[in-house]
Amino acid sequence: MIIVFQYALKEMRKRRSKYALNVAAIILLVVLLTTLNSLSLAYKDVAGLPFRSINSTIIIQRNGNVPENTTGVVLSCSSAPIGADYLSKVREVDGVNDVSDGLLLWVFDHDNFKRVFGVNWNDGFGRGIESQITIGSRPQTNREALVGKDYADQYGLKINQHINVSGAEFQISGIMGSSGKNVIPSDVYVALASAQTLAYNSRNLQATERFNETDVNIIFVDVDQTNLKQVSQRLNNIFSVNQPTGGNTPTGQVIGSISIYTPISFENQISAVFKLSDQLTLILSLIVPIGAILIIANSSGHTLLERRREYGIMKAVGFRNRDIQQVVFSETLLQVLIGYVAGLILSFIAIVFLARTTVSVNVPWEVGGYPHFLVPNPSLAGTVLTYLLPISFQVTYALLSGAVVVAIGLLTTMILARRINGLKAMEVLRYE
Amino acid sequence: MSDLITVKNVSKTFAKARAVSNVSLTVKDKELLAIQGASGSGKTTLLNLLTGLEQADDGEILFDGENITSMSEDQLALFRRGHVGIVFQFFNLIPTLNVVENIALPLFPVRLARDKMLDRAKVSAENVGLSHRLDHYPNELSGGEQQRVAIARALINDPKVIFADEPTGNLDEKTGGMIFELLRDLNRNRDLTIVMATHDQSMAAASHRIIKLRDGMISNE
Repeated sequence: MIIVFQYALKEMRKRRSKYALNVAAIILLVVLLTTLNSLSLAYKDVAGLPFRSINSTIIIQRNGNVPENTTGVVLSCSSAPIGADYLSKVREVDGVNDVSDGLLLWVFDHDNFKRVFGVNWNDGFGRGIESQITIGSRPQTNREALVGKDYADQYGLKINQHINVSGAEFQISGIMGSSGKNVIPSDVYVALASAQTLAYNSRNLQATERFNETDVNIIFVDVDQTNLKQVSQRLNNIFSVNQPTGGNTPTGQVIGSISIYTPISFENQISAVFKLSDQLTLILSLIVPIGAILIIANSSGHTLLERRREYGIMKAVGFRNRDIQQVVFSETLLQVLIGYVAGLILSFIAIVFLARTTVSVNVPWEVGGYPHFLVPNPSLAGTVLTYLLPISFQVTYALLSGAVVVAIGLLTTMILARRINGLKAMEVLRYE
Repeated sequence: MSDLITVKNVSKTFAKARAVSNVSLTVKDKELLAIQGASGSGKTTLLNLLTGLEQADDGEILFDGENITSMSEDQLALFRRGHVGIVFQFFNLIPTLNVVENIALPLFPVRLARDKMLDRAKVSAENVGLSHRLDHYPNELSGGEQQRVAIARALINDPKVIFADEPTGNLDEKTGGMIFELLRDLNRNRDLTIVMATHDQSMAAASHRIIKLRDGMISNE
């Protein structure tokens, strides 16, 4: 076999332009299959990144009424309270690993506006918040708070200073890192109970929605990716009991309806680019192998015509058809190997390059929770999160592209073999 | 000498033209047989039938008692590989292989280590006086040297018979004479049966026996 491969190498050197075309087709195929599929996977992964930062895979909110005026404490527009009884129902759903809750408030004090997030420090979301503290530590009492870095910088706040939230004093125990990677950014983080007290005692809030002292307005659910669809469906069933009351929120949600955000819903809702990328990947994954087969078969067909005499000589000196097939296969195998290895190297380089690019995720305005009236267009108030593209070299796709190129190699060999089988030695050797 | 090849009433037609018509003959073991005839008389077709490169329409050919006319294409390939060496007028060497690799070509499909394969090819090259040209490629060789490579390739499987189709037809007189001497030497000293189609009267005269073909038929023996 070694001498057959040496022969194949010599032939490849002699007809390098033709074989280079074949190798280029294989390289292109491997690069496209490996890189595009990895890219598609990365885009899907991007949709999950905002959830990863809050240790959950599902966010539940109920759409509510807009407050009559912007004074004091109100629920972040346009969320409505969710009763504590729902939390226990969510916890009982099969496939749910963990449930966290929170209360996101807007506080319009006389001198400034602030977003206040009531957090349960012991649940998954609370631990996620704690992990982002850069100065100080987690609040130990209900009279302590964390502040976001941007907010602290804006107002010159330092650790151990006090901050007034609608008349309630909180001592700053820590400062959060940049909130740019946080799906639900806030200015002040306090214990959930403190936020609930603020909300319960707010006349403006109570005039808009009926709020019980144990209500929340956001629930985080952690489930395994494999259970995501089923759990989402069950959660929909639980919350569908609460019928919409009519009217729309500023961004068109039906008041009283439930919004369940998942990486899938983000993927569908946030960016059409993801779908386009998927479709493009699918189309190219189908077209490129066919193109590669056509290029290789055509090029090999020309080579076959040029080498008819050689195959005739082989038959004359005692090569069976299967022996010649072995020669043809060794040449195809070499092209496939060279193309595959070069394709993988180029794919790796392309992926390293792509991993340095950034991608932005627009978090739905309802989740981002920034006051729509502070910007001219509510859609501009969506939180934009920027991430490095989470693309990595996927061994699975490398193997998949390997299987495709081997299949193409075998198919090409079979096509050529059929044509060589039909050659009669004397027909090609008879004339000079 | 015993009969090595027996041809019985063999015919071959190409597009309604009869190339070989009802030919019967025998080739003795260790014989140097010349087949003569004008162009188009059927010499090459007869040789191709004897080597199994063409299939007869009628009749049978027995090689060492085995009927090759009933063999499949693969069986014929193995038959050629095991028992027959073929030398063509136009050498038919593979341009991308060097001398030693061209000589070893019939061994490529055989399960044999590369080094052993090339060692055998070197011995074969030595037998035809080409030891000094092993690494050269066909386009670097003279016509006579290329034909020697073809003869060495024909010898590599230790065949019982070499079929040579106008082996000197593409060479000048002097070189052609040397090639014929080489074939005659192989016949004499290595007991190889040689069946050779030739136009050359002097070579035919130097053979053990001459068969003359005319319009695909044996005109005299």
